[in-house]
Amino acid sequence: MIISKKVEFSASHICRSPELSDAENVRVYGAAANPLSHGHNYIVEVAIEGEPDPVTGMILDLKRLKDVLDERVLSVYDHRLLNREVDTFSKIVPTVENIAIDIWRRIERHIDATGRARLFSVRVHETNELFVEYRGGD
Amino acid sequence: MVHVSRKYGFSASHRLHAIGLSDAENRAIYGKCNNPNGHGHNYEVEITVAGPVHPVTGRAVDLTALDALAAREIVDPLRYRNLNEEVEAFRAAVPTTENLTAELDRRLRAAWGTAFPAGAPRLEKIRIWETERNICELGNL
Repeated sequence: MIISKKVEFSASHICRSPELSDAENVRVYGAAANPLSHGHNYIVEVAIEGEPDPVTGMILDLKRLKDVLDERVLSVYDHRLLNREVDTFSKIVPTVENIAIDIWRRIERHIDATGRARLFSVRVHETNELFVEYRGGD
Repeated sequence: MVHVSRKYGFSASHRLHAIGLSDAENRAIYGKCNNPNGHGHNYEVEITVAGPVHPVTGRAVDLTALDALAAREIVDPLRYRNLNEEVEAFRAAVPTTENLTAELDRRLRAAWGTAFPAGAPRLEKIRIWETERNICELGNL
């Protein structure tokens, strides 16, 4: 069984790789290559897989999950310029793909200490027309 | 490996009427969608691809190429069209959401290799909203 929780953060980013020329950056990222940055209201959907505890009827304590997301994702990402203020993105471009993978890595080990539940997927919606899903692995 | 989903839209008209069925059967099966004058929808098409994240660009799909492919194969030829009258595939098949999904999947797969010559990403799934409540999907679910 899978249970999902949704949270939001707002942040700015610049999609531009130092390894590409200006022309290549514009070709790859389009308007998102603007060196002065732009922003989005991101929606993060975290899906947890497990079986309900026979006593509580819950796969995991959703309030604890909210705390994990607040502490490990929102406090890091919300109202930030991702390129400069989130350490992961000093080396890689903060595309929505890399954001989904980074969020997975920040929360996976903290989902559930009992082993009853595990992180199944992280979905990040950058706009209404674009989202990414990461289920771990390569 | 990540999955990237991108949404596109087009508005079109259609009529659901199977030539192999009687008028009464068509009315019974398709209800108001069988209106001889046709009717229309704002269709939304979500294309999901799967691929590795490129170490330099941070992208799993060239969105410029995907947008161009969707425009060429789906949005440009279908927007503001009568699907029954103006789209070859629906001269024989009823333009239900199911048949539309299969047709758009065929179009994307036929053009995929030209749009993404490097072989990645792969087309994973296509999902079509005919209305907010009628949704059809095809691929790896």
